[in-house]
Amino acid sequence: MLTLVTIALLAAMGMALIRAIKGPTVYDRILASNTFSTKTVLMISVLGFLTGESEVYLDIALMYALVGFIVTVAVLKVSEFGDLGQSRPDSGENRQ
Amino acid sequence: MKDIPVLRVVTKITIPIILLFAMYVQFHGDYGPGGGFQAGVIFAAAFILYGLVFGTSAVRQVVSPGILRLLTALGLLLFAGVGILTMLLGGDYLDYNTLGQDPLHGQHLGIFLVELGVGITVAAVMIIFFLAFAGRRD
Repeated sequence: MLTLVTIALLAAMGMALIRAIKGPTVYDRILASNTFSTKTVLMISVLGFLTGESEVYLDIALMYALVGFIVTVAVLKVSEFGDLGQSRPDSGENRQ
Repeated sequence: MKDIPVLRVVTKITIPIILLFAMYVQFHGDYGPGGGFQAGVIFAAAFILYGLVFGTSAVRQVVSPGILRLLTALGLLLFAGVGILTMLLGGDYLDYNTLGQDPLHGQHLGIFLVELGVGITVAAVMIIFFLAFAGRRD
């Protein structure tokens, strides 16, 4: 059962990866990478139950969920503002 | 980006959880996955998220660069100080067995202090990196 879930998650991750590579706009890529990070959290959890050391893997999955959110915010900020540190939008030459 | 309500609220909810989880990774690292380096990076990630949403000047108000530089040296001093202390107590450099009344207790205390030093240094250096590279155009 868990093996089946792993295969399904791998298929979903593959599809998200294809969209991230092919995606015509930057929003497609961001959404795909966000989906990929969510699927990775699920994948780590399932792998934890598959190996029987779920408490160790669940810690890592929790960590990945928190860091994945930061990565999404950072990518969004770079694509919108052109810089990680700015607090205001720039004149617009860096926008897609 | 602080004029986006969803991002602002989620950031304010998430940052304490990230800091708490960094503490968990730091002090539970003997029994679970983790350790000083990982905990330092997670701790700095909370500040980086704060800097992404509220700007690097807000991070500079929370932790001034002078304190960060001090913390970098403090962590290294803690690491090296434990090593020198074990030498003064009659062992080799970083020989934790001499720290406690029995070797097991000494190993526990030594690992704890050294990992704390690593965590402080890594967190401070990561925040310095972020401030140095992200705030160049401000």
